[in-house]
Amino acid sequence: MLDFVLNLLIFFIITAIFVKEFGLDVNRPTNVNQPDNAESKNIQIQILNTGEVFFNNRIVDVRAIRANVEREKALANDIGALILADEEAQTGVILTAVDQVRLGGVYNITFSTSE
Amino acid sequence: MKSKHFSEHESEDHGIDLAPMLDFVLNLLIFFIITTSFIKEAGVTVVKPNATTAENRESGNILIAIRENGEIWMDRKRVDIRQVRPMIEKLHIERPDDTAVILADQSSHAAILARVMDEVRSGGIREVSIAANLGD
Repeated sequence: MLDFVLNLLIFFIITAIFVKEFGLDVNRPTNVNQPDNAESKNIQIQILNTGEVFFNNRIVDVRAIRANVEREKALANDIGALILADEEAQTGVILTAVDQVRLGGVYNITFSTSE
Repeated sequence: MKSKHFSEHESEDHGIDLAPMLDFVLNLLIFFIITTSFIKEAGVTVVKPNATTAENRESGNILIAIRENGEIWMDRKRVDIRQVRPMIEKLHIERPDDTAVILADQSSHAAILARVMDEVRSGGIREVSIAANLGD
């Protein structure tokens, strides 16, 4: 019996999976209509399928998003960010943009794709 | 007579007492059975993007992988986008505290990521996060 229990023990030790995933939380737009005046304050980041990034309709480098977000956050503290990606934009670029926005101190990020 | 009794007593004490060790091993066994998490692994390896601000997802037990060619993998099987919602609904009923983590390949397209996120949300799991490697 002891052998059997030990075997079971070894089996469970081996099969115990210790998965630790690190992730970023991103919102999706809801169907509830937002008031228009609140939307205008938010940061809008567009990502094209070529990897180009537009920050409030200005073309910027993806690494410059952080500085721009910090500036916008200094002007209005309770802002959110909307990331509008082209359908064929790469996830890597989007995640870098999300990371940059979070580094800039804005954690309310909504991710949407343009049709 | 006395020496015979002594030798008998000696022979009884041979070997270690197994009872405490058995208790210990059983406890360990129960511990490992309980802590075996019911993680639904995706079953494929993807190249995750890097992010400095990624946070640990303790209850992120449902893993959905999106490969660079747009294939979606859940629970070690390739699934169609329309299968994601019923699977999420089933898993959500079984374990309501679980959250989903999407492992999107860094060269997969945004449209698939958005659709998978919508399917997971409509399946009842509100907290969806996108997996990333910690660090640069």
